[in-house]
Amino acid sequence: MKISEADVEYVAKLANLEVHDDEKKELAEQLSRIVEHVEELNTLDVSNVLPTYQVVSNTKIAIREDRALPRTGSSEAGKTIKLFKVPKVITER
Amino acid sequence: MNLKNLTADRLVSLYANRDLTVTEVITSVFDEIDRSDGSIRAFISLCRERALEEARRTDSRIAAGEPLNALSGVPVAIKDNMNVRDVPTTCGSKILENYIPPYTATAVERLRTAGAIVIGKTNMDEFAMGSSTENSGYFVTRNPHDLERVPGGSSGGSAASVAAGMSLIALGSDTGGSIRQPASFCGVVGMKPTYGRVSRYGLVAYASSLDQIGPFTKSVRECAQVLETICGFDHYDSTSADTPVDSFVKHLDQPMKDIRIGIPREYFVAGMDPDVKANIESAIRRYESMGCKIEDIRLPHTEHAVATYYLIATAEASSNLARYDGVRYGLRVGGAGGLSEMYRKTRMAGFGKEVKRRILLGTYALSAGYYDAYYLKALKVRTLILQDFEKAFEKVNIILTPTTPTPAFRIGEKTADPLSMYLSDIFTITCNLSGLPGISLPCGKSSANLPIGMQLISNHFQEAMLLQVAHNFEKAGGFGNVSL
Repeated sequence: MKISEADVEYVAKLANLEVHDDEKKELAEQLSRIVEHVEELNTLDVSNVLPTYQVVSNTKIAIREDRALPRTGSSEAGKTIKLFKVPKVITER
Repeated sequence: MNLKNLTADRLVSLYANRDLTVTEVITSVFDEIDRSDGSIRAFISLCRERALEEARRTDSRIAAGEPLNALSGVPVAIKDNMNVRDVPTTCGSKILENYIPPYTATAVERLRTAGAIVIGKTNMDEFAMGSSTENSGYFVTRNPHDLERVPGGSSGGSAASVAAGMSLIALGSDTGGSIRQPASFCGVVGMKPTYGRVSRYGLVAYASSLDQIGPFTKSVRECAQVLETICGFDHYDSTSADTPVDSFVKHLDQPMKDIRIGIPREYFVAGMDPDVKANIESAIRRYESMGCKIEDIRLPHTEHAVATYYLIATAEASSNLARYDGVRYGLRVGGAGGLSEMYRKTRMAGFGKEVKRRILLGTYALSAGYYDAYYLKALKVRTLILQDFEKAFEKVNIILTPTTPTPAFRIGEKTADPLSMYLSDIFTITCNLSGLPGISLPCGKSSANLPIGMQLISNHFQEAMLLQVAHNFEKAGGFGNVSL
């Protein structure tokens, strides 16, 4: 599938990225080439195949007891950084 | 002092015999960096004062008769995507230029507990996205074997530091071949362990289901030692494997018994460099002469690995890199136009071209209407690739392939065409998709005198056997320490 400059603009917005006008054409061309390449996966029939999200075995952490553990670093971070100041989010109407 | 011919185990025995002091060695490491790193540029930051202080402390412990640890006084370089407390972690990106982590990664902490001394942080492709270390937000690292060529990537700085004798050992991370490919290009040993073996706590995430930390060394013995040190369960990483870690070093010298090596037909493709082909074929014959059984195997979905990888890795990256928004990590741009404007302006100023390209591709693959067609499809093909290996490991216990289709390419050769750069990872990314351990070790040199690497792959958690088989090749061939 061909990726248009409008597609680049739309996806950039979703990704919180700003893309210069002069970059759009090049990105659309490069992404089109990559997407055309990955579309070769369509030659495979995977209708009866289950997806693999993670190849992990023998993990025990996911079912550990539900209690807080000390984390290295977080207390030090807390000493120096109390709050993160950000620009105003809410504006008056 | 020539560190290029010195291995970690030899160094520790020299300390034990009081033939050398740690301070002498660490001083000469920084002398070598001062001499060579102006042209190679492997390091982003150095820990000179801190390392010398640690060296002095280690020397006084040795003088007091305290026993040495396995890596006491051994200089180690750390890829700049792993945290070392109070030392900047840039991840090769401008967006993290001023980030100083308040904690140390588990893998680094374990090396330091074993006595290793961190000498500096090494250059890398930004956020580990690249195969040449040309995508660093700071500068390009050069291959010590030929300064006009790339060291490989993304852990190019770590590989180059070991190859040039600026460090004895190094840590890298491998998401699609980022340890094995630069090890191959720089003529050193590099290994990606089984997914879950080494804690990812303190490693900046790129593609979380694929990322794994591993060592760069000059010999397989050192690789086994470093791996044995950094492997093992860590409750700070929810994907850490609770599998016992054998003594990889002790296992090395045991005789190889019933080793069946599979040669996948799909990895001997058109376009492979003739020198690579010849050296790999001679490696196969060498194993045969050592009594290993060589078998032809099939991994039929190999040709789909690059497409599968670039969908999964970029999708995970687009999610992982959402956290760099100007709020918490150093760089912040704009803000007069409100919060979302600050996010966009910061990310635009802080991320390089390749990172933006991958975030866009990943966001596209996950977006409404395309999720099933791209991302979900790739996850299903990942299952097929994994099943290929499961079938192969019913027949053989080791798979042998070239690490890369060609030796190190020239600086600038592949930068204009991202897809051609992606395709250079063809032989390494299947290990990441299937979570398998893989090691690259030197197996010869090309006609242009460039190192050539061989990759060995085993089933999950079979690192002891994998290292043993690699060690036997090194012992028989003497290809370890490919000299500059």
